[in-house]
Amino acid sequence: MNSIFERVRDIVCEQFDVDAESITEETDFLSELDADSLDVVELAMSIEESFGIPQIGEDEIRGIQTVGDLVAYVERALG
Amino acid sequence: MRIIIDAMSGDNAPGELVRGGVLAQREQNVDVVLVGRTAEIQKLLLDCGAAENPHIILEDAPDIIDMHDDPSTAVRRKPGSSMAVALNLLKNGAGDAVISAGNTGALLTGATLLVRRIRGIRRAAMAPVLPNGGRGTLLIDCGANVECTPEYLLQFGYMGSFYAKSMLGIPQPKVGLLSNGTEDTKGTELVKAAHALLQDAAAAGRITFIGNVEGTDMFSGRADVIVTDGYSGNIMLKTAEGTIKFLMKNLKSALTASTRAKLGALLVKNDLNALKKMMDVREVGGTPFLGIKAPVIKAHGNSDARAVSSAVRQAVSFVNAGVIAEIESHIEFMKIRGGED
Repeated sequence: MNSIFERVRDIVCEQFDVDAESITEETDFLSELDADSLDVVELAMSIEESFGIPQIGEDEIRGIQTVGDLVAYVERALG
Repeated sequence: MRIIIDAMSGDNAPGELVRGGVLAQREQNVDVVLVGRTAEIQKLLLDCGAAENPHIILEDAPDIIDMHDDPSTAVRRKPGSSMAVALNLLKNGAGDAVISAGNTGALLTGATLLVRRIRGIRRAAMAPVLPNGGRGTLLIDCGANVECTPEYLLQFGYMGSFYAKSMLGIPQPKVGLLSNGTEDTKGTELVKAAHALLQDAAAAGRITFIGNVEGTDMFSGRADVIVTDGYSGNIMLKTAEGTIKFLMKNLKSALTASTRAKLGALLVKNDLNALKKMMDVREVGGTPFLGIKAPVIKAHGNSDARAVSSAVRQAVSFVNAGVIAEIESHIEFMKIRGGED
């Protein structure tokens, strides 16, 4: 069973079309992956689908800046 | 073939959307999925004598996204809206294409979030075909992406070329880049960088790039595809629409101003009708969103039944043309590695 980080990383790689080696918990969506708000919402929806968690709120999406933030959110959502 | 229609969005919804769906089903022998408030749609189908038509399927969606909804959040805030339900049906394979006459921004965001972009495509683009006296000129992008990178414009060039080849029947579409002069040195930094990328694509024999074009080439037929950012493209499109309206209105006034003019108009009636038909949005269909994994078409907000039926015809052609498969098969050439702009 892959860790939450690995599963999140794979989704990030799929969406941003980047190699897994380039993604760490510190990877910043805006400055390093050139993401905009639409990219982040798209990513949030992929995460919701993949992990079966409820819809991530707009305020919470705004607070997710790095891959680590997203992993932490998923961990909290999964309890 | 099964076309999904968002029956509740647009100025004339649901009446004209439902009637358009019925018209398309009868004329084009396609299955049509009407998404919206089923009680309202059922009543309209009864009026059309189509309540028992097995090729017309109803999908209930109690909510509606309207022009006041924030485009960026609408489909997530209203998952039970006709637009969101229609897009989810497409995503889940319950149909081959979606047509909506609703909120353009919400439809674009919804298509991106629910149906998703083709892998490797940075941004979906809106690509209407404008009349030019021949097969038409595709303008890409006309408003989806106000700010673009050179890579976006490169991808628009490829996608526009594939669409023009398959849908307009032009074997080697001539791709032009909108600028303020035809010389290679003209344009913003974005235009100059995109010019170099498009030139490289042409040198590799993947597209036919004719260099920079100007606004006057919108109707000249010099380019089959005009590539630009959504900001400039939207201004260009709206200017063209306004100019056409102005000319048609004044032409009509001039041709009815006197008995002599009316006689003259009578002599060229057929030619004038052909011109009117060429400019008629009801005949054109809608604007495709290129770069999405499945066909999504934005019909004009004030579409009537004929316009909806034309959009269905366009959707059927879009599915059959294999444009999306062609984009997918060329995606490696359409990317700039290493995030360089």
